[in-house]
Amino acid sequence: MTAITNTARVSGGSTRKRWATLRTLALYLLCSSLLLLFVAPIVFSALTSVKLPQEAAAVPPTFLPSTISFANYAKLNLYGAGVWQYLYNSATVSLLTVVGTIVLSTLAGFGFSRFEFPAKNVLFVMMLAALMIPFQSVLTPLFLMLGALKLQNTLFGLSLVYITFQLPFGIFMMRNTFDTVPREIEEAALLDGCTTLNMLWNVMLVLVRPGIITVAIYAFLNAWNEFLAALIIMTQESKFTLPIMLTSVRSGYYGAIDWGALQAGVTVTILPCILLFLLLQRYYLQGLMGGAVKG
Amino acid sequence: MATMQAAATAPTGKRSSMARRRQVIGFLFVLPAALFMLVFFIFPLLMTVWMSLHDWPLLGTPEFTGLANYITMVQDRQFWSSVLFTTQYTVLVTIPIFLLAFVLALLVNLPLRGVGIFRTGYFIPVVIGLGTSSLLWVWLLNDRVGIFNTILVNLGLADKPIVWFAQKYTALLAIVISVVWKTVGFTMILLLSGMQAIPDEIYQAAMVDGATYWGRLVHITMPLLRRTFALALVLSVIGSYLAFDQFYIMTRGGPKNETITTVYWIFNNSFVYFKMGYGASLSLVLLVILTLLSAAQLRILRDDTTY
Amino acid sequence: MQRIGQFVLAIALIAALLLSACTAPAAAPAAPAGEAAAPAGDTAAAGGVTMSFWTRDSNQAQVRQLVDAWNESHDNKIEITVIPSGEYMTKVGASAAGGSGPDIIAVDLIYVPQFAAAGQLADITESAKSLSYFDKLSPSHVRLATYEGKIYALPFNAEGSILLWNKGLFKEAGLDPEKGPTSWTEIAADAAKITALGDDKYGFYFAGSCAGCNAFTFAPLIWANGGDVLSEDGATATLTDPSVAAALDFYRQLWADGQMPAGAQVDTGTDFFNAFASGKIGMTGSGAFAISQLKNDYPDIDFGVTFLPGQNDGQSSFAGGDSIGIPSGSKYAKEAFEFIEWLTTEDVQLEQYAKSNSLPIRTDLAENEYFASDPRLTTAAQAMAMGKTPYSLVYNQLFNDANGPWLKMIQTAIFDGNVEQAVQDGQDEFTKIMAEN
Repeated sequence: MTAITNTARVSGGSTRKRWATLRTLALYLLCSSLLLLFVAPIVFSALTSVKLPQEAAAVPPTFLPSTISFANYAKLNLYGAGVWQYLYNSATVSLLTVVGTIVLSTLAGFGFSRFEFPAKNVLFVMMLAALMIPFQSVLTPLFLMLGALKLQNTLFGLSLVYITFQLPFGIFMMRNTFDTVPREIEEAALLDGCTTLNMLWNVMLVLVRPGIITVAIYAFLNAWNEFLAALIIMTQESKFTLPIMLTSVRSGYYGAIDWGALQAGVTVTILPCILLFLLLQRYYLQGLMGGAVKG
Repeated sequence: MATMQAAATAPTGKRSSMARRRQVIGFLFVLPAALFMLVFFIFPLLMTVWMSLHDWPLLGTPEFTGLANYITMVQDRQFWSSVLFTTQYTVLVTIPIFLLAFVLALLVNLPLRGVGIFRTGYFIPVVIGLGTSSLLWVWLLNDRVGIFNTILVNLGLADKPIVWFAQKYTALLAIVISVVWKTVGFTMILLLSGMQAIPDEIYQAAMVDGATYWGRLVHITMPLLRRTFALALVLSVIGSYLAFDQFYIMTRGGPKNETITTVYWIFNNSFVYFKMGYGASLSLVLLVILTLLSAAQLRILRDDTTY
Repeated sequence: MQRIGQFVLAIALIAALLLSACTAPAAAPAAPAGEAAAPAGDTAAAGGVTMSFWTRDSNQAQVRQLVDAWNESHDNKIEITVIPSGEYMTKVGASAAGGSGPDIIAVDLIYVPQFAAAGQLADITESAKSLSYFDKLSPSHVRLATYEGKIYALPFNAEGSILLWNKGLFKEAGLDPEKGPTSWTEIAADAAKITALGDDKYGFYFAGSCAGCNAFTFAPLIWANGGDVLSEDGATATLTDPSVAAALDFYRQLWADGQMPAGAQVDTGTDFFNAFASGKIGMTGSGAFAISQLKNDYPDIDFGVTFLPGQNDGQSSFAGGDSIGIPSGSKYAKEAFEFIEWLTTEDVQLEQYAKSNSLPIRTDLAENEYFASDPRLTTAAQAMAMGKTPYSLVYNQLFNDANGPWLKMIQTAIFDGNVEQAVQDGQDEFTKIMAEN
């Protein structure tokens, strides 16, 4: 263990050093037990999902599965239109949201960062103000609007709603990202005979890729996890997204909740989020910290 | 919001046709997003105002009723008690989040080897949806099949499984535990970014003066984090004020409607009782409350700290 | 509103144009926007029409089986859409408002008055009355399907609430396993003996946070005792009826004496069936559905079925289930009625319903060859036939809402022990809701 704390860095002496090592150990112990607390619920859920259905419903519960079984997943698949349908629904909505958000916020971010036009500041402030207004307060009219547009119960309609609520953050993020790209690069490209769009597509997109990835992760996670709007807008069981489908699993048919299937569903829903986060952690945290520090 | 100033700095070029063309192009870039916001945000917002002046059933024709909904609201005991409850919840959830997040941020800011693993681990619950995490916790906390209760009993912290959702305050505590678990990582990262933005020189100067770790914490870190604290506070308070998923899933507003939040009550009116006009008027009140909260907190934000 | 549709398309187009204008080899990512313009239309199958049929999820296995049987033998096909029962009213109402309604709909019978009053269902009085067995149809279903003298729906499936008792536990506690309780007094006495067995065994169970479950299994206790929760015409609340307080006090006492597991208080209906199926509950109010479910999935549990009783005598049941009607916007009203008529025929009632342990919706078929082997099913069918159902245009708000006055009254009375206050508040809130609408 060569790790040293801030304090140890300045102080010397062998007793002090021993103290420092001890303190480091204590800190590791503390950090690790906290880590355990944070990860345990997810691990328990995943472990329960691979128990036998009877064991998953056992009173009192067991900690570790006595045998590994995927029967809970098979039972989960019997609910409604089957778990694959819900995975498809959630994935479709999330991907549509990601694509829509990226396109719209990249264009707008570029426009806000590089161009001058009348009412630009007013527009930008309005976009940001939308961040302050809870989308919950416009859900009722949105619901009626989607009904009138025949978009209720469509994955596309739901993703339109999600795109709208992702836009303020997306535009803010993309404008900041474009701001960090030196104008010289852009000018050089234009001198080479690129049109503006050409230049945006061929040159800038490469440079702002981190920003785009950040926007994409946020759009994906928010769409994947969103609950209230999906609960209201999706009224047919076959169109549910995963979180909504899970609440109906939880209600159970005729008062017979299936805990094993529920935890299988929770695991299926959580896993993509965690994988995505672990893979693209850097961008995710950048978005959070970038937004925070600059905000 | 400091970025608005950045947007205002405009290079004033010659008024040529080229410049005008660039204006149009720039506007066109922004247009799609602006139209989106107009159609799916500004328009619904105005429609909320319009609906709030109507008796607007789900089936049947809306009827203009002026301010009747607002008058009903004044006498709606459940609404005001839900506002009160939401406030209570916001306070009760924000305090532990901040305390714990601060401790966690300090820990993951230590120069320990492998500290990134801890940071990632503490943050993982943040990427899970609130709805999903509520379904996870409602199972963990169940009095029969829940492992949380088994652990409490095994550790001797409870003599029999606790029926968490039977009483208002145990239910609230259960929800606070689950929400802290899910969101504390978010606040932790915000605070961490604030800590890392504090220039090293300040600490070094303090160390030369012989300041201890705790001394530096109290005299440097905490004061300089004020702005980050304020930002995190705004986000946390607004988020808590809009609480719905966890209550809808974990308590269903019970026991005896004592855990109905404001958004929950709006949802009930609009989508269970189908009083959409009334729901709209409640939404507007919520919006006003939140705007006031944000404005108040933005004032704190504007009180800039310079490093 | 049509304009907005074009508006959205325009935005999508602009976005697509902006991108495709660039010479770069871009597969315009905005492309999915195009899909919205062409929602998949349903095309009629050759030789017949395809009707959409909405039903709730709780009994979907049976419904699927029914529809399969229909589709095999008819040119006009039916396509099922399943809607979760927890939010049925919300979901169906929302879809109806969105103008995307079905051609046939099955709704919980208690919601039929509300649907009919809102003009959502087509008047089928004439076709219904022309059925030779019209007067044999479940009386509760028909009563609730009648609004201002016209008939808007026919029975689709039937459900009656009953009392289950665990014969194994009765024997263990030294009680006669073949004799189910016939009064509250007996329930309390039997429950005490079973609870006394210890080992996590309890005499009684009810889902203490489930509004609907208690309309189904608690209200009949009041009826059996001669009281009611609403007046006959459904226009006034009658919660101040002494039988309401008496029934509440009966449950309160069971709770206070520890005859029920602590978890009962927070059961939002998720363990309504599970609790009894665990084999550790002596008695519980339940429904006919539980009989076939227990027989199929829990063969080890030996159980009896009896009527929900009154304080000293009397018996009653909540006659539930779904009714089937034709939404006023249905494209195939005539074809839809053919399906409804087919459902109610004797052959279908026996071969599709009774054979799979479901109650027939006709009183003349309550006793049939399939039920003969299991008197428990006959008991349930009899319970359904004599059962009551509250008639109200605001049933959902009064009884089924998880945040409504019915559940609040039950919780205040039983868990807080304040029966008097609970009844008074309940009466006030019932009256207020009924006056508002």
